[in-house]
This record gives sequence, C-alpha cells and structure tokens, in this order.
Amino acid sequence: MRRGRSIEFADYRNYTPGDDPRRVDWNIYARLEKPFIKLYEDEQDLTVHILLDASPSMRWRDETTDGSAGASGKWTRAAQLAIAIGHIALTSGDRLLLELSTRERFGPKRGAPATAELIAFIESKSAEMDLRESRIAPGLLAPASGLNAWWKRYALDARPGICVIISDLLDAEGCTEGLNALGASRLDTRLLHTLCPAELEPEFAGDVRLKDIETAVTQDVSLDDATLRQYRDRLRAWTGDLRDLCRKRGARYHLTNTATPIEQIMLRDLRREGWLV
Amino acid sequence: MNLLNAPALLFALIAIPIVLLYLLRLRRREQIVSSTLLWRQALLDREANTLWQRLRRNLLLLLQLITLAFLVFALSRPYVEAPGGISGRHIVLLDASASMMATDAPPSRFEAAKAKAREMIDQLGPGDALSIILVDHAPRALTAATDNKAELLNALDAAQPSLHAANWSAAIALAQATAGSESPIITVISDGAGGGRGAGPANGLPASPLSLLPDTARFVPIGTSGDNLAITNLSLRRTLQGLAALVRVENMGSQPREALVSLRVDGALADARTLIVPARQSVAWTVNGLDLRASAIQATLQAGAGNALAIDDTAYAVNTVREMRRALLLSRGNLFLEQALLALPELEVTRAMTPPVLPDAGLLVAAGRDFGFDLFILDSLSMTLPPEANALYVGAAAPFTVTGQFSNTDYVRAEAHPIMDAVDWRGVNIQSAALLDAPAWLKPVVQTQGGPALYAGQRNESPSAGPLAAGRIVVIPFDLRRSDLPLQIAFPVLIANTVEWLAPAQGASIPASIRPGEAVALPPNSRVQLPDGSVVTVGERGFADTDQPGIYQALVSGARAPIRSDFAVNFINPAESNIAPNLQALAGRTESAPATAPETATTQREIWPWLAALALVVLLAEWWIYQRGLPALNLKRATRPPNT
Repeated sequence: MRRGRSIEFADYRNYTPGDDPRRVDWNIYARLEKPFIKLYEDEQDLTVHILLDASPSMRWRDETTDGSAGASGKWTRAAQLAIAIGHIALTSGDRLLLELSTRERFGPKRGAPATAELIAFIESKSAEMDLRESRIAPGLLAPASGLNAWWKRYALDARPGICVIISDLLDAEGCTEGLNALGASRLDTRLLHTLCPAELEPEFAGDVRLKDIETAVTQDVSLDDATLRQYRDRLRAWTGDLRDLCRKRGARYHLTNTATPIEQIMLRDLRREGWLV
Repeated sequence: MNLLNAPALLFALIAIPIVLLYLLRLRRREQIVSSTLLWRQALLDREANTLWQRLRRNLLLLLQLITLAFLVFALSRPYVEAPGGISGRHIVLLDASASMMATDAPPSRFEAAKAKAREMIDQLGPGDALSIILVDHAPRALTAATDNKAELLNALDAAQPSLHAANWSAAIALAQATAGSESPIITVISDGAGGGRGAGPANGLPASPLSLLPDTARFVPIGTSGDNLAITNLSLRRTLQGLAALVRVENMGSQPREALVSLRVDGALADARTLIVPARQSVAWTVNGLDLRASAIQATLQAGAGNALAIDDTAYAVNTVREMRRALLLSRGNLFLEQALLALPELEVTRAMTPPVLPDAGLLVAAGRDFGFDLFILDSLSMTLPPEANALYVGAAAPFTVTGQFSNTDYVRAEAHPIMDAVDWRGVNIQSAALLDAPAWLKPVVQTQGGPALYAGQRNESPSAGPLAAGRIVVIPFDLRRSDLPLQIAFPVLIANTVEWLAPAQGASIPASIRPGEAVALPPNSRVQLPDGSVVTVGERGFADTDQPGIYQALVSGARAPIRSDFAVNFINPAESNIAPNLQALAGRTESAPATAPETATTQREIWPWLAALALVVLLAEWWIYQRGLPALNLKRATRPPNT
C-alpha cells in the first residue's frame, strides 16, 4: 500500500512574508543570498478504509464451504480479504478504518498489533450475524444492505485515503449512486467484487422458484440451457457495466471468485492489478 | 368403426391425475438465492421466449394426453369391418394322414396345411372362435374353441402328421359333437388323397361323411401332384434255393418312373436293381437265394423324381419262416392225431409211413440241432432217433421195453406238468395200455390203478447225457384208437401242450408285420428294442409303441428263457401312398365356393396395434422434446480453479 513520505523533498519556492522561517533552506540562502522555501511532500496520514458488505446476500451459502482447494463461502472469503488487506495497512503504519454494512465500525487503528483486534472484531460480528440468521427466517433478515445509502453517507465524512469495498454488489437498487458519491469524494476507491461459483455458474436445474434471501422476492425460473445462457450473458454484462462505471468514476474494479484461493488473490491477482506493491 | 371393449374408455380418467400432476409440478421447488436481481434481468431478456416456454410445457402435457388417448383407445379395442377373412365359429379339420407328408407342396403338404390354418387364425377376429381337429386314424381336437391365437398357434405348431389314413367319419362326427347346437363353419384342409388306386369315388374324403357336412363347409385343397413311388409289398418265402424276397414297387403317378430298389439283409446290401415302373402300375421284383438264417430284410426305394412321399419308400420284413416248427408224423394213418396237429399254428406236419433217411448222426451233431424236424411223432411205428430229438411216442411200439399190459386204467392222479395244463384226464377210458420199463428221467405224468398212462421227461436230466442230449420225450403208452381219449376235450389240449413243450414256438403269437400304431400282444416283462435303439419293457397291457416303421427286436418272456422274436412295423399303405389330390371330391366345394354366405363376407379387424404404435411414437416425441429443452445435469460444469 502506498504511503506518504513526508520527509521527502519536493520543490522550492520563493519566500513570501509569513512563511515559517524554519522551512527556509539556509544552505541555499548562504550561497544565493535569497531565501527559498523548501517544499516537501505533503505530510499526511494515509487512511485505508475497508467497507465490508455483510448483507444477507454476502452470507448466502457461507456454510457450504467445502474446504477443498481453498474455496470458501462468500462471507468467509470477504472477511479473509478484509483481514488480509487490513493487516497490510496496519503493518505499513497506515490508519485502518473498517466499516460493515451494518454501520458497525472498527478503528481507526494504527500499528501491527491491531491486526489481532481486527480479527477479533470480524469474528465477533460473524458470530452475531450467525446467531441472528439462525433465529430469523431468510427474507426477514435485517435491512437490505442499501449500498447506495451506505456509500453516500460514508463518502461525506471520509478522510481521504484508499477505500477498499468488498461486496457482491447484489443490491436491488444497484450501486451506481454510491459509486458516484465515492468517486466524487477524495477516496481512492477500489471495488473488490466477490461472487461465489453458485452465482457465476448456477448449479440448480429444472423448474424452481428462486427466492431472494434479502427481499424474499420470488422469481419462477425454468432452468433450461437457454435460460442459463441468458443468465451468464446477463452476469457478464453486469460485471462489464460495473467495470466501466468504476473506470469512469476513477475507481478500480476487480472481480474475484470465491473458488479462487486467497493466496492467489492476494499474491497474484491484486498485485497484477497494481493494488498492492 | 366399433369398440369391443368400450368400458376401457374409463381409463381416460387417468388424464385427471396427469393434469393434477402437472399442476402440482408447477408448484416449483423453492430455492433461496443470494439475489434474484440477475435472474429477473435474464428473464426479462427472455420475455419474448416465455410464450414458447409455456407452450413447450403445455406441449409436453398435450403429448402425454395424446399418448394416453391412443392407449385408452387401443385398450377399448376398436375394430373396422374388413372384407374377407373369417368370423364366427369355425372348426378346422386338418388332415394329418400319411399322404400329407408328401413334399409336392414344399416343405410338405402338412406344413402347407398348417400355413393355411395359421392364415385362418390370423384372420380370427375378436369374439370369433376356432377349434382345430387333427384328422388321422383317431381324430382329436387340438384345442377347445377359442379365440386365443397364441394357444391355437402353439397347438398347431405341435401337430404332426401321422402314419395312418385319416378317419373322416370319426372326424366329422367329432366336429359335429364339438359344434353342439351351434352351426360353426367347418373348414376341411386336406389333400383329399388316400383313396387308394383307381378312380373310386372320393375315398380319401369319403363322399358319404362329406354329405353329412353342411353346405357352408369350405374345402381348402392341399397338394398338386400325385407323383409318388411306393413299396407296396415286401414278403419273404422259403424256397429250395433259400429265402426269397418279393418286392413290389408301385408308381402312383401318371408318368413312367425309374426307381432304384435296394434290398438289405441284416443291414448288409444284398441286391439292388433299377426298376422301370409304368404309370399307375406296379412292378414286382423277386430276389432269390437269400440266407435262410437272415433275420431282418429291408427294401429301400430311391427315385430321382416323381416321388413325393418318403415314408413309403422303405419296407421291412422279418424272416418268420424259420420259426415254423416242422414235425414228422410217422403213422399208418391216425385221423385224430393228424387233425389235432393240423390245428396247431406254425407247425408244419410231414406225414410218413416209413422213416425218412436222416443224415448221418455224426454230421448232425456237428451241424447242431438241425434235423430238418423240430419234432417227431411216432404213432405205433418205431424209428431210430438221435438222443437230442424231441419225440412223442404213441402206442405200444415205443423204444422202451414193454414189460406187460394193464387194463385197469382208472384215473388215480396226475402230476403237475406243462403238458397237463388244463387237461382233465378223469374221464379217459383206455382199453389197455403197455407197462413200460421207463428210465429214471422219464417220469409218469398220469397214474392209473394199473400203471402210468402218460410219461414225460427230458434226456439231459440224465447225468450221463451230454449237453446236446436235450431231447424231450413224451410217451402215450397206448393206442389212441383203443381209448376214448381222442374224443375227449382234453385231447387237443394235451396235443397242443405236448407240441408246445416238445418244440416251443418262437414267439408264435406275434405277427411278422404290423401297421404303425397297432398293438402287439406281448407278454408282460418282454423287452423290445425299437428301431431307434431305445429299449422298452412291456407292461401289462401289451406293446403299442409301434409308431416308428422298422424292425423291432423283442425278447419275449415266457415260462422258460426269453425267446427272441422280432417283428416289423411297416408303413405299407397303398391307399395313402396314392397321394394324388382328390380334387373331384372337393370339386364344387372348394375354398371360393361358399364365400357367398354374408356373415363370412366381412371380418372385424382390430386396429389396436396401430394405436399402440402411434402412442409409442408420440411418447418418443414427448421424450425428445423434453430432453432437447432441458440441460443435462450441469453439476460438473462448476469450474474449479487449479491449485496454486
């Protein structure tokens, strides 16, 4: 993760009255008898924001992790990614701020030791959500994630920095407004789109009634080859649109499949994308 | 079009559960997904296709209902009225006489007749009934009247032609008994043959029983040609040159034919000759000089053409001549004795006044037992006999020493002896009898107060006698004319017993040649080897297992050791060999003639097999549409990333 280098020299400029005399380059003054102010890179804290989507759709089929080849459920994978990125931020001396879609926050924290607290935080929230889900029927789960509202609010008062969003972006309202708001802010937005294989390649067949885990909206589908083809086309178009939208808003977009091992995502995919150095 | 089984239409109610299942099926399996967002969008794209989708689903339902409709319709057994064919009750009289084995209608007339019968069975409509009567010497119904085609065809397949003439009178009587009060249509499938030589009026299908048939009876003629060669006679005769065999070959056809006739004696070819037999005539061939000791003679006929019936090409004979017993009666004339002997079967009596010159006794011994005579009867004359000769001595001139005469011949008792079987001596009066100094082996059989009136014994009971000295001797020690014995009922019985004991008949009761299927009166426990090599032990009811033509080798059990007694079963039956189809008999009553009867003009032809086939086609189409519209189970399509 990039970080500011505040002691690094940037430029000179003429002294103007009112400047801090401590910032005059006295060596230059000795040689040229003219005061110059030495300019440094703006020294500021880099804040890493992690917006972790904990909506029911993210928790869907989390228990179906089969443990093979590093595959895991969407929520597990999202939490792993959040912890990994958070850990990198913390060890680099950056400030870390993590917010769940439930508006629960972790941080800001700084320093490597906070990694353990981050893990504990996410684990406790996972447990809470497990408990909640075990009590409430699907569809009646707490409020739809409302990505737009969440991101718009977050963009308002966010300190400048890098904002990593980990979400499946499955929101009935879409996320265009939220992305617009984030793009307008001073956040360097990176969208880590997390989808599981069951969403990329649906496995069920026949005549089914699909029920939305968040909205409880049902949809009758006869799953034949044509429908599945249509679904895949739609999925491709959707992710393409998202990628385009992100580019327009100065954000970066990366689609991960939870079947991909986390090592591969962290060490190869994100480096290739230039998110990590 | 009508339905035979209209209640089956109730099966159409199955449509209700099918539709219900469809409705139930529309209540889909619920599947929770992370979001229906993409699905909704995907289905929006398919909006234009939903009509097709709905239609496809309905199409499947429609096809299933069509399949059901076809099946239910098939179950209700619709039929159409078709011209031709048969309907109603039928009785088929299937000729199974020997002439039906002729091959002029390949593979044989009987098979052709079965094919005709099969056609009738195929045309059998529902509600019709057909019974088949197999007409041979003992006509019998193969099946009860039924419309079960499988049963009829099975019975038909099992039917075999017989070696006998057809008994049409019995068959028609059986048909009428089977018909009962109904008036079935009788179909006669026959070649009409079996009428024998000459243009006799329809002997195969005799005219008189035919006249009993109703006018609606149909006749299906089988067979085209009458060309056949047959052996109609094979007989053996003893001549001075030895055994002579007479073979008679008859040409039943209308063309002169050549036939190669070969004669086998005990399996070895003895002679063969090509005979040219004029049309409708017979040729006899005599083969002389065969071995007198031959036992089995077989004559076989081979012809290149004009010989449609194979079963009459072989004839068998057994040499029964050697089983004739020969007796020498040395007498000055004794009517009683001669009459009693002449009445005995298979006994050839030679009467002489003086003893004939017999061959040298030493040669006799070397040659075995063949004296030319099995039995010597010496009526008051004496003759030197070898010790192994069987002899009956009558009167005082016996070779035994006469020690005196006695006239007190009141009956005292009789010993149990074969010659006394069923003989009542009590009323016999004798004027005087000779008292003999009998050797020890010659036992008195009848004792009177004065002395024995009958002796019998066998020489080899003497310890000093050799194995050949086995002659049996019976002595009647008085002149028959000086007693009333010849007037007694006991006399012929006594003579018969005596002859039987002295020279046992070689299976005398068995005829040399019989027809197939005839019974032979063999005593129980006799063993018979059939021509095919199998051995049968005769039970209490005699032997009737004579269906195969050929030589039967019988070991006839008797009081003493079993006697070898062969007999031949011969097909020889000129009437059946005359295979010419007797079309005159059938003229005017053939297949096409009675078709005027309106009830036979049409038949009910069931169409359910077509409906079932259509149902199958529709079902296949439904399956195809279902398969084409749905993906194969795509569980394996989920991509797995390679391990890093």
